[in-house]
Order: sequence, then C-alpha cells, then structure tokens
Amino acid sequence: MALDMAKYRLIFLEESTDHLGEISRALLDLEKEMASAEAIDTLFRMAHSIKSMAASLGYDAVADLAHRLEDRMEGVRTAGRVRSQEELALLFRSLEALEGMVEAVNREEEPSLADDQLLAQLAEQGEDGADPGAESPDPVGGEPKKVRL
Amino acid sequence: MARVLIADDASFMRQMIREIIEPEGHEVVGEATNGIEAVDLYNELSPELVTMDIVMPKRSGIDAVKSILEQHPTACIVMCSALGQETLVMEALQAGAKDFIVKPFKPDSVIATITKMLEKAD
Repeated sequence: MALDMAKYRLIFLEESTDHLGEISRALLDLEKEMASAEAIDTLFRMAHSIKSMAASLGYDAVADLAHRLEDRMEGVRTAGRVRSQEELALLFRSLEALEGMVEAVNREEEPSLADDQLLAQLAEQGEDGADPGAESPDPVGGEPKKVRL
Repeated sequence: MARVLIADDASFMRQMIREIIEPEGHEVVGEATNGIEAVDLYNELSPELVTMDIVMPKRSGIDAVKSILEQHPTACIVMCSALGQETLVMEALQAGAKDFIVKPFKPDSVIATITKMLEKAD
C-alpha cells in the first residue's frame, strides 16, 4: 500500500516548526539554567520526533542531524546538565541548521546536508556522557568514540 | 479485526499508523499523546491492541506498558521504536510488550506484525 506523502509533508512542516519552537524555548531556558531537566528532556524528545518524521519522508539530511542532536542530548541527560557554554552554543547552531533544512522543505527543495564540522562536534562526547571539553583521566586507554547512524 | 489504541506524541505518526491499519479493517478507538493518557484510555476503552511509542512526554511508553500490564496482564501491546532504541525495545519486551515495529514505518511490515500478534492472541 502507498501513503499520501504530500499530506505527510505538510504535517511534517507543521509539527517540525512547532518542535523547533519548543527547542528554541528549551535552549533559552538552558541558557538561564544549564541543569534544567525539563528543558533537557524537551530538547531530546523534539529532536527524536523530528528524526522519526524526517526519516519517514526520506529527508535523510534532517534525520541525520536530528539523530546526532538526539544522541548529544542523551549525553547531556546522562550528565544532568549542559556541560559548557561551548556545548550550549553547539546546540543553538544545531537548531539553526535544522531550521534552515525545514525552510528548504517548505520551499519544496531537498535539504542540504549539515556541515561536517557541526556533525563531528555533535558526535564528540564520551559514551558515558562525560564532558567532551574535559581532559580524559585516561587519555591513553580510552575507547574510541562511537556514533550511531 | 481489532479495536486499536494508538499512543504517540506525534500527530504525524498517529495519522500514519491509522492510515496503514484502517484499510485492513481495524478500528482506531482512541489516540493518546503521552504515557498517562495511554494508561487512562486503555482502562476506559479496553482495546484489543495498543501501538505504543517509547519516547513520550509525562510518562514514557515503557512505563505505560508496565502500568497497563500490571492491571491487564493479557494486554496486547506493540512498541513503536526508532533507530538507536534497541536497549529500550528490549526493556519493553521484558516488561511484557509482545512485539515491536520500527520507524520509519513500512506499511506491509506494520500490518504483518499486527496480524501475527492478533493471531497469537486468539
């Protein structure tokens, strides 16, 4: 059976626009309180939801970036807080990139891939949610970083 | 044919599941947008099948599964999971969920999973 994907594109635009608004509000909350559990949870769930919708429609660039953001937020959730101002800035940049991609969908264009540096920075965190900016207590024997795709 | 409760916080996903299963003759008797609503609607509607998202606000899908199965041990619940949620899917299955479907949904696969579950439940 085939689904009417034009209909789902419109729903995607409506829901992802709402979700990006929620991410924006959550980031503003995190700017004030970097350990806001509610804001961290909201950001995680919104990234997860955008990923699932985008994957359903074949918007791979959106799904990939949202997935990286979701993984990053999993680390933040484990740590219980956004771990540095740099990490907060990275989350804001991710939001900006996702907004650009959704705008492209709205213009009926194929969203461009997120820039490699952003994707790489999102992936830079310990699997245990350790502060990516902190020095490793065991810089020699650490496991290689893993990114789920 | 079954009476189905769909639990997912995304309208996108709820509509997609509805559009996949209704042509097969299943009746969507309710839609829940979070884990608390899922438990409440299950108690109210007694559906024969639930499709349960894992990541939802207020109460997760896994918590909702545990709560429903505590009160209704024979409940037939299928989890809706996404990439990277293998651990959570295992937790849900251990809690008593019967099976899972993976996003992005493939209509034929969703129908096959639901049909198989309902046959086993008979």
